[in-house]
Amino acid sequence: MSELSAAAAAALGIPEAIVQRSAAARAEETGMTVDDVLAAWAGGGDIPPPTAPASAEPQAEEEPAAPTDEPAEPVAAPSPTPTAAIETSGAPPVPAASSLPGKPPVLVGEEDNPIAVLVGAVGLLVALFLVGVIGPALPAENPGARTSDLPYTETALHGQEIYQSVGCASCHTQMVRPVVADVGLGAVSLNDTNQVLGSRRFGPDLSNVGARVSSSQIEAIITGLDDHPALSLSSEDLDALVAYMSESATLAETPPGDPSEADPSDEEPAPEGETPTEETTAS
Amino acid sequence: MLPPSRSATREPLAATQTADIRALLGAGDEDRVAVAHFLVGALFLVLAGVFQLLALFSLRFAGLSPISYGRAESMANITVMLGFLVLTLSGGIYYVLPRLTGARLWRKELAYLGLLGVSGLVVVDLLAVVFGLGEGRQPLGLPWWLHLPMLAVLTIPFAVTMMTIRRREEKRTFVTLWFVIGGVAWLPLLYLVYTAGNLPFVSSLGAEYSDLFFSAGFVTLWVFTVGSGLFYYTLVKELDIPLASRQLASVGFWSLGFAAAWWGSAQLVFGPGPGWIDGVSAALGLAFLIGALANAANASVTLQGHWEELGDKPGVVSGVVGLYLGVAVAILAAFSAFPSVGSITALTAYWEAIEYVALYGVGVLLAAGVVFEALPRVAGREPATLDRPRSFNRWTVVGVGGVTVSMIGAGLVSGYSWVAGSNSAAYVNAGEGWAAGAGSAEVLMLVAFGFGIVAFIGQLAYAATVIGTVTAGRAVSQEVLVYGPDDSDDGDTDE
Repeated sequence: MSELSAAAAAALGIPEAIVQRSAAARAEETGMTVDDVLAAWAGGGDIPPPTAPASAEPQAEEEPAAPTDEPAEPVAAPSPTPTAAIETSGAPPVPAASSLPGKPPVLVGEEDNPIAVLVGAVGLLVALFLVGVIGPALPAENPGARTSDLPYTETALHGQEIYQSVGCASCHTQMVRPVVADVGLGAVSLNDTNQVLGSRRFGPDLSNVGARVSSSQIEAIITGLDDHPALSLSSEDLDALVAYMSESATLAETPPGDPSEADPSDEEPAPEGETPTEETTAS
Repeated sequence: MLPPSRSATREPLAATQTADIRALLGAGDEDRVAVAHFLVGALFLVLAGVFQLLALFSLRFAGLSPISYGRAESMANITVMLGFLVLTLSGGIYYVLPRLTGARLWRKELAYLGLLGVSGLVVVDLLAVVFGLGEGRQPLGLPWWLHLPMLAVLTIPFAVTMMTIRRREEKRTFVTLWFVIGGVAWLPLLYLVYTAGNLPFVSSLGAEYSDLFFSAGFVTLWVFTVGSGLFYYTLVKELDIPLASRQLASVGFWSLGFAAAWWGSAQLVFGPGPGWIDGVSAALGLAFLIGALANAANASVTLQGHWEELGDKPGVVSGVVGLYLGVAVAILAAFSAFPSVGSITALTAYWEAIEYVALYGVGVLLAAGVVFEALPRVAGREPATLDRPRSFNRWTVVGVGGVTVSMIGAGLVSGYSWVAGSNSAAYVNAGEGWAAGAGSAEVLMLVAFGFGIVAFIGQLAYAATVIGTVTAGRAVSQEVLVYGPDDSDDGDTDE
């Protein structure tokens, strides 16, 4: 037995223990002896196909049945008996390619410890979290950046909740970076923890919008000016959102012109934007 | 090592195929758990496609859209990430686990509960966004308290997987198990980080970095990792050829793990984080490329001499294309992580394109790579015709590719416009540079929407393939699991 299994293992290129288990399962299914199976594997001999214990037993891996053209009539439809739910032959799974003598199974692994993989994976993620999230989120000095938080009123803070719930941050940032691309948006502003930073800018940056655009213009835009989505908000929520935008003025300059007299239609239309162009406070 | 050879022990699903699909989703053997996940996932993919189309429409026609881009994008992300990718890849895990371990799936009722929980919570989350209860920040835009139940159900795949592995008969580990173990462990941890970042007392800076960590991590640690791992199994089993290199798979697995965070933080280059994070993100973000390349190369070498066999295996084609598309995603992400490039591409549609192709391209194709080949084995039926899965591959590649190229173009146009305008002093007014950039990109956004429709046709073809195969496919032999005697009396099976 051991010589045969060793020879079969050598011929198949897989560990002897697996060969023995596979041979036992195959022998039981084919009616052959284990030695016959091992001898066949070792010498490249053939093994007869298993004799199906059930009349229409599915033979998934080894002998696919010819498909039929009639979808309503399954070909593999045995009459199962509830009491035979699990085969308890003791046969462990058989290598996929074992039906082909001499060909090694393809789903072969090596002995290793899955727990070690788990520990390594969890440890890696914890390390990444510490370096990639906690590290950058710690308060840091950004040279040249405005560091004070805007003192929003309670109404404006309620407006910030509206700003978040309707998804404004999906299109707008409140972050002016020290790069050429952000020149003209306002003072460099990176550390204002009261603002919603955002990571996409399909609309203009809004960290300093209150210094550029009047309240009435902001309200007009929110309700649909210049191809901006017309947000359907209650008057209370609309007022709050307008307050949040108006108080987002990192340079603390008053908007040009008299807000009460501003006419949004006089503004140069921005294709998809929320802010009509205004004299920049930084230019 | 698997797969179990044969047995006359249970009724194949094919024998129960009737018009009543509920029969497939009820109690039964563990393969039905996988089938149920595949079916529900397919439905969610169609829903996600609708929401994503709406989001693309909102980007171009903001004033005409019935819903803002922020809400539409959140709804699309919730549906495709949690509804489709989590459920479908979990189904794939439940499919391979018994075959790779030789053990019964641990508490399949729990797996069903996970399916029910994720599905129900996705619906609740969508309603929350629609009714304005969301928090607005991408990717999911949900308040922290809605994350808690989802966090709980996302631990179920971990529990089922690890307990099944603990009772394994097969002591040798095929590479797929690494990817599965990593994926099921990382997913709830990622979601925990995301949930913590959305707590009310966390600063906007912390919230932003946790959002990006989750977005990038979900793609690398769940979509790429589990998708690649499951495809290794599919590839080897379907073609009956050995994997080219276990070592290369190991490189692919650990590199993907290491790459998780960096292309998230890279999106805020020159932003509010400390200066060192930009350089670290650029350097270590290359791990993403290494991981994606290792897996694609491994599959390619494995396929050497067998390419012609892919003609009648559209699922394997899906997986291979998914791996190659993954390399493209990694190149785009790693390239833009360098500060010099990031100063142009950051905050633009460029990154939106990367996330789109990662979820709707790589994710969907890798999932299809597993599902198309697994269905006949677990459901006893194969597609009546290969036209549908082939159509899925074609439409998906063309549609997703078109959206991606268009949005990358839009991002570059916007970014260059901001920089060039400011450099030349052409834009002297606040917002003018943005307006000019957005105006130039409008055409590209329109093109992206057009290709989005093509991609949606592909998603319909996927759902038609999955649902059509299970309900009306051609009956074939079914793979039947065989277990040893110890498995029947554990007390935690339903036998």
